Amino acid sequence: MIGRFVVRRIGVAIVQLAVLAVAVFFLIRLLPADPVARFVGLNATPEAYAAAKANLGLDRPLTEQFAAFLGLAGDGRVPGLLQGGLGVSWVSGAPVAAEVAAYLPVTLELIGLAFLVAILVGVPVGAWGALKPGGAADKGTLVYGLFAGSQPEFTWGIVFIFVFFVGLGIAPGPLGRLSPLTEPPDAITGAMTVDALLAGRPDLFLEALHYLMLPVLTLAFVLSGPIIKMVRENTGAALLSEHVLYARAAGLPARVVARDALRAAFAPSMTLIGVLFGFMLGGAVLVESMFSLGGLGQYAIRSILAFDYPAIQGVVLVISAISLAVYLILDVAHAMLDPRVTL
Amino acid sequence: MLAETASTVLAARGLTVASPGGRAVVDGADLDLRSGEIVGLTGPSGAGKSTLAFALLGLARAPFSLAGGQVLIGGRDLLSLPEEAARAVRGRDIGLIVQNPRAALHPMLDVGRQIGRIWRTHTGGDARAARDRAVEMLRLVGINDPDRRAAAFAHELSGGMAQRVLIAAALAADPAILVADEPTSGLDVTVQAQFLDMMWRAAKDRGTAMLLVTQEPGVLANYCDRVLTMEAGRIVADRPTRAHFAGRAVTARATIRSLPEAAAAPVVTAVSLSKRFPLRDGKAVHAVDDLTLSIRPGEAVGLVGESGSGKTTAGRCLLRLIEPTAGRVTLAGRDLSTLSAGDLRRLRAKAQIVRQDPFDSFDPRWRLGRSLREPLDVHRPDMDAVAKAARVAELIRLVGCEPAVAEARPRDLAAGMLQRLAIARALATEPAFIVLDEPTSVLTPDARREIVALLRRLQDELGVAYLFISHDLTTVAALCHRVVVMYLGQIVEEGTTAAIFDDPRHPYTRALIAAHLDEDPANRRVDRPQPDRVEGEIPSPIDLPTGCYLASRCPMALDRCGTERQALAPLAGDRTVRCWRAAELDTDNEVRHAL
Repeated sequence: MIGRFVVRRIGVAIVQLAVLAVAVFFLIRLLPADPVARFVGLNATPEAYAAAKANLGLDRPLTEQFAAFLGLAGDGRVPGLLQGGLGVSWVSGAPVAAEVAAYLPVTLELIGLAFLVAILVGVPVGAWGALKPGGAADKGTLVYGLFAGSQPEFTWGIVFIFVFFVGLGIAPGPLGRLSPLTEPPDAITGAMTVDALLAGRPDLFLEALHYLMLPVLTLAFVLSGPIIKMVRENTGAALLSEHVLYARAAGLPARVVARDALRAAFAPSMTLIGVLFGFMLGGAVLVESMFSLGGLGQYAIRSILAFDYPAIQGVVLVISAISLAVYLILDVAHAMLDPRVTL
Repeated sequence: MLAETASTVLAARGLTVASPGGRAVVDGADLDLRSGEIVGLTGPSGAGKSTLAFALLGLARAPFSLAGGQVLIGGRDLLSLPEEAARAVRGRDIGLIVQNPRAALHPMLDVGRQIGRIWRTHTGGDARAARDRAVEMLRLVGINDPDRRAAAFAHELSGGMAQRVLIAAALAADPAILVADEPTSGLDVTVQAQFLDMMWRAAKDRGTAMLLVTQEPGVLANYCDRVLTMEAGRIVADRPTRAHFAGRAVTARATIRSLPEAAAAPVVTAVSLSKRFPLRDGKAVHAVDDLTLSIRPGEAVGLVGESGSGKTTAGRCLLRLIEPTAGRVTLAGRDLSTLSAGDLRRLRAKAQIVRQDPFDSFDPRWRLGRSLREPLDVHRPDMDAVAKAARVAELIRLVGCEPAVAEARPRDLAAGMLQRLAIARALATEPAFIVLDEPTSVLTPDARREIVALLRRLQDELGVAYLFISHDLTTVAALCHRVVVMYLGQIVEEGTTAAIFDDPRHPYTRALIAAHLDEDPANRRVDRPQPDRVEGEIPSPIDLPTGCYLASRCPMALDRCGTERQALAPLAGDRTVRCWRAAELDTDNEVRHAL
């Protein structure tokens, strides 16, 4: 049952990605931008301009460019989409797939940790607020909601850098993933904490965590807002539900009743987590730039500013594929949690 | 009576529940429950019956709160016990059965676990014993295949099945007191009768004291020893059941209407109407199967049967609101299936529908005058604004409402009043035929009687034909000239109201009539044997039985019934029956009459 659903959804996802690839390829070329001028500069000779244009393949008709992008035509030097390649970056000359593979783990590490922190804090706080309306957690949530939700990540990032690095001195500066003096471990997965552990270096692991402290705090701080709110609302609704009233009437202990309410509240929250994931990717762009982490968000911005079409296409496709995978995982998890959901 | 000598197991004194504004929703209620006694609690909607029932367990539904009084159980006041001690009393000493059983079950836990954990909480048994106990209790309340059902989730159960699960849960810890809050609202009559019989037996066999909250006089008359009446938060009467009904005319059945004289041509005719809803896996839901029916001007035809029998689908197919899969419908001499969309829309003025819940069938933001004018806007381009306003005022008068309701919005009115206006709206375009799809089932018994009286008067004055869909036999008997009984998409019996009610032939009709609760405490269902009853619930309309559709539930079934489809056959006295044994009953009756 679930297996068939997963296969069908993967099939649909492939179609979605194919349509997206076509759309991105052509939309990007509709932009009133001149990447060639960008590369050769304003003072280039017409000959240099034409040479650069030919070099980028932009002198050929659009259909031919598209065929090359797909890997159906071209010189065969660069694998196309059908061969699993994403083209070559016009800026660096390196394959986009390799660059994405290098930058992506940084972003996933940041988002993963922020998510973990936001859920570990948000779910208990939200549930506590619902169980004890008007209590400390509930009031704190209200005050927090007024601040956290009202400011974007970069505001909080700057505030945290000021307080924890400049003021208290307990956090490292926004200089990257490790101290500039530290020799990084071999890049195996690309995620610094994981690589440190794989290299058997707990000291590096702790240092990596220390450097991730402020970025994760920034992202989780903003993300906890909607999570707390959602858990608070859903738990509140579940506590007012007929089945909770009935559980109380049947004399079930208070902790069992609370667990029932949380269980009923959590399943519908799964859908929102998927939405939050997209939201977090946007937040990650800002946080990565602020803390010089060198993740996919930073790569995307750099590519856009440089009109690096192959890189932009690659980033869009990879992020979409990840989003689709996350939605699929959440749908399957929701179905396993809630017997009413049939896939 | 038993009640005189039995001991009091619960006594409430001055029990008060208040709203956040300080208004008393239950105002100083005093009541006693004695072991083995079933006490009815009745009164109009909003009188505080449910709130009182919950307060007996020391609970109040938000935003209400308990504001005073005592609930004495075993000599201790439940309301002044510490929370942990009060919790232990709930479920162990006093059990609750609620109105909406599916909502009361946790949607993500299987029902066996939910029954078992209640038992475990109060007895301290282990998980395995709890599962065994749950299965045992499910078997006790008459659920087939209890091992499998214990693994079911709330949404997989029918309403009747879920209600049994709640009884199983309530009885698991064997409490001395049961509080049942409108436990049969929303259940079909046959299931209601099975359920109440079971509760009655549980009370009498185990000596359980029971408070039964209900608005149905039939339930009070047949099952309760004593009746408490509540009005505006106060208990205003506490009488033995017979005293409660004394002085009321025991009209077990309202005067049966005779057929209109003129044998005019039918206004609506359905021939071999079928409707199947295809499912994904190639199967189909057989909602309506080969239905043939005609209704003459001024005639009211009742369509009865359990939920899932296809009544509503049949009504909608007759109006071509949904496309029938096969068959033909003729309305006012025109074949509906061949009409163009435009012609069909114009013909809709002649055929209207009134639906179950009037709050769903009006736009909540519109004033009612506007809602009543809407059919005129659509169908009467010839009328100007003044003429329309006059027609709206006339319609409002016609259904016995004050002209001022035109300015009201739906939420300002009671359901009964709003249903009158829904009828007025259906009459706006002077239809020849109206489908009334359960128009009385969300109404209180009083409002129900008023709607039936209104429909009778309107029919006498206007000569409009009705198809009256209902599972409430009292209203059908009071309104209809003829009755059609449906089971699993098929007509199983059709005849005059007198024939169907006084001498039902099909075993299903007999069970339906037998399950009907007359408002007569001198002739209680529990005091007489019940030969005509069907067990269990209606089978799935997807995998239809091979033989007669009723065979698995029928008390008269023989081997032949399990293999042979039944055809609708005419019987003496202007009726048709789908049962080869129906004729035998004929001779039975002759013998009985002869004796």
